[in-house]
Amino acid sequence: MSENPTTETTRQDAGGRAIIEARNVVKRFGGATAVDDVSIEVAPGEIYGLVGENGAGKSTLMRVLAGILTPDHGSVVVDGRELEAGSTRAALEAGISLVHQELSLVPELTVAENIVLGTTPVQAGFIKKREMKKIASDALEEIRVQVDLDEPIVRLSVALRQFVEIARAIARKPRVLILDEPTATLTPAETDYLLDMLERLAGQGLAIIYISHRIPEIFRICNRVSVLRDGHLVDTVSISDIKPNEIVDKMVGRELKQELETSRTKVAAGDVVLQARGIKAPGVNGIDLDVRAGEIVGLGGLVGAGRTELVRAIVGADIKSAGTVTINTDGTMRRVNSYRSAISHGFAYVPEERRTDGLALTMTVSDNIALPNRSQLSRYSVLMRGKIGTFAKELADAVGLRPPEIQREAGDFSGGNQQKVVLAKWLGRKPDVIILDEPTRGVDVGAKVEIHRLVRDLAEGGTAVLVVSSDLPELLDLADVIHVVRDGRIAGTLSRDEADEKSVMSLASGESQVRGL
Amino acid sequence: MTNEAQSVAEAVVGEPAIEKQPFNLLVWMSSRGIFVFTTVLVVVAAIFIDGFASLDNITDVFNRAAPIGIVAVGMTFVVISANYLDLSVVAQVATAAVVLIAVSNESNIPAAMALAFVIALLYGLVNGVAVGVFKANAVIVTLSTTFIGLGILRWFSGGSIYFGPQDGAIRSFGLAKIGPFPLSMIVLILMTLILSFVLTRTNFGFLVRSYGSNRDATRLAGVNTAWVVIGAFTITSIAAMIGGFVLGAFSNTAVSSMSTGFDFRALAAIIVGGTSVFGGRGSVLRTLLGVVFVSVLTNIMVLSGLGFGVQQMAIGALIVAAVSIDSLARKASGT
Ligand SMILES: Nc1ncnc2c1ncn2[C@@H]1O[C@H](COP(=O)(O)OP(=O)(O)OP(=O)(O)O)[C@@H](O)[C@H]1O
Ligand SMILES: [Mg+2]
Repeated sequence: MSENPTTETTRQDAGGRAIIEARNVVKRFGGATAVDDVSIEVAPGEIYGLVGENGAGKSTLMRVLAGILTPDHGSVVVDGRELEAGSTRAALEAGISLVHQELSLVPELTVAENIVLGTTPVQAGFIKKREMKKIASDALEEIRVQVDLDEPIVRLSVALRQFVEIARAIARKPRVLILDEPTATLTPAETDYLLDMLERLAGQGLAIIYISHRIPEIFRICNRVSVLRDGHLVDTVSISDIKPNEIVDKMVGRELKQELETSRTKVAAGDVVLQARGIKAPGVNGIDLDVRAGEIVGLGGLVGAGRTELVRAIVGADIKSAGTVTINTDGTMRRVNSYRSAISHGFAYVPEERRTDGLALTMTVSDNIALPNRSQLSRYSVLMRGKIGTFAKELADAVGLRPPEIQREAGDFSGGNQQKVVLAKWLGRKPDVIILDEPTRGVDVGAKVEIHRLVRDLAEGGTAVLVVSSDLPELLDLADVIHVVRDGRIAGTLSRDEADEKSVMSLASGESQVRGL
Repeated sequence: MTNEAQSVAEAVVGEPAIEKQPFNLLVWMSSRGIFVFTTVLVVVAAIFIDGFASLDNITDVFNRAAPIGIVAVGMTFVVISANYLDLSVVAQVATAAVVLIAVSNESNIPAAMALAFVIALLYGLVNGVAVGVFKANAVIVTLSTTFIGLGILRWFSGGSIYFGPQDGAIRSFGLAKIGPFPLSMIVLILMTLILSFVLTRTNFGFLVRSYGSNRDATRLAGVNTAWVVIGAFTITSIAAMIGGFVLGAFSNTAVSSMSTGFDFRALAAIIVGGTSVFGGRGSVLRTLLGVVFVSVLTNIMVLSGLGFGVQQMAIGALIVAAVSIDSLARKASGT
């Protein structure tokens, strides 16, 4: 990784006077304590890392700082003055901007409208259009991202949405910028871009709090890092005083046995189970694809290359304009014509967007897991409650849900744990084909190892696995073969031996030389 | 088996055994509060309001409440499926009453009921297809089917009012009692138990809740969501028909305007009961309690000599309060 040499000198040291402090913050959700007596302070120009397992309390602490949640105890102090507790307006006025873990843009509104949302310039009740666009384009310029201001958000890729989200935070002229897992949706190149940008912003005196499950990112940009575990602040250290594996140990509170199973015992792949021919859809320009029983096929490429569109077209979640999909099990070939036929023929699909597509947030974890499995959990159309309970519990344990309380509503769980519930839903069906779109987004290191093991087990059991991931190490670790997608076409196919970060990225970007690698 | 006994109890009460949850007043008010509020109201009324605790008065309260209550327990399905409400219950209730009294003409009651049942299926299908398949807005769709339904009814009746014979079978049904309980009350309670079972224990009820909580996620789980919506509207329509029978039999009259306001009053009971207007959350049993609460409150106001205007204002304020508590509770529970 090449680091921008100039940022090294402009980055301020952690010793500077703090601009923002959390003092002894406690936040309880009923009986459970999500954040327990945590104090941190961040100086202008500093990039402050925050790490911890899923459910450790990172997002909760940040939402307290941004005034979204009222702490049960403790306070938020900016420039030595205590902020009004639980007031987003006070936090905003004090210059605190939060980029949420989950996208929070209004899909139907345009880029410009979203960027000014909440601070829209108005005169006599009318939106001052020109000024609105000026604010938006200034913010986008600041982060050096080009996007049409009048484009509605729904039409943007997930990565672009993420950048618009950051532009919105920047438009509020913050002095403290908080980013909650901003790179979870980004590819390596985009991540690179974002990290450079943050270093530049910090160089201009902005205080940045940065949350990520990706330890190398922390080491690349942060001056200091705090580790949270079960709501407690375990330690705050200067980045030069610690090694990556020490951070991970602090996060999990034990030594994580690094299960670096890169050499998966390759199963003799069976017959072709999933066959897709000539798939065309918006963003997909004619793709053929085979997945064999027991095989893990990876789809690599940049965000926006058409991978999500491709898998949605294959499984029928979105309508395809051309092409055929067949599934071949027990010696019978069946055409897949609709999403429901796909599911009933043995497909499972873990979508990219867990909150909108994956979960019913107001229902319990148990109910969410039961949903696609209801036929085996009911008799004469009457649900068997006891059976649902044990069934859901088993799967929740298999994915390592924390806390393992299946009768709590899915919306009460942290982002990474919600992702585990989405996985658990489909694992129970023992599918013939499983399509996973970003299966470990926002999932912590330990759980990620677990999920990879589950995916391998599925393949070993004969399931055909198709996985989309922007997390390159994950793809390299899991896949037997990687198709790299670019502009809606397969730009190249790499076997396990041929694939490495370089070969994938050069195919993905269409250049032989890739920046930052 | 104790386990089975417990699940039967759950089915009846309609509340799954939830592990101990942290206490939050707003969440409690929107989920369990109605049990307490209703009990307190009834006790207070019995002590302080003259004439409330008489058998005649209680019977009267139930006779008045039953038709709306039956509609409300059915319409709970539409509300939980996050489709707001079914306005066309107004047309359906009146249609059922007219069919029962005018079409049957005392001679062929079972055939008339069958006809009403077919009409209910039609309403459910039309509303359900428009909303579930064509994704039209439920309020607009059911407003339109109300117009169509009332139009047909007025065209059929020429705007006239029908009376049943004073000593006919329908009349005796309407006044029938089992022990001290009026038949209408028994029908209301039976409907509540059956629909509570359907909502909490069957596959279909589960899908209604899931669809109401997140329709995209439910579709992506491989569910035929169109049938879920059609089912929710059909259950509402069948309940509306039964509500219409009860209303017609009790009043022994039928006229196209007899059910004016049923849509809103049923919704009031549902919301006061704590079913969320955002969908996904709710219970049939609590709708029944909502019905009792609203009816008793109205009865208290009548007995205290308060005018209709005051009654309307009070019910309106009650709904605003209930809806606000629902929203705040959602926020407090973080979803
Ligand atoms: N609205 C809520 N209601 C109840 N419990 C909640 C709520 N929000 C968070 N929690 C609980 O608080 C704890 C901390 O959650 P938080 O979202 O802060 O974790 P996190 O560190 O951000 O995890 P992740 O890496 O998965 O995003 C978790 O146990 C979670 O279940
Ligand atoms: Mg989080």
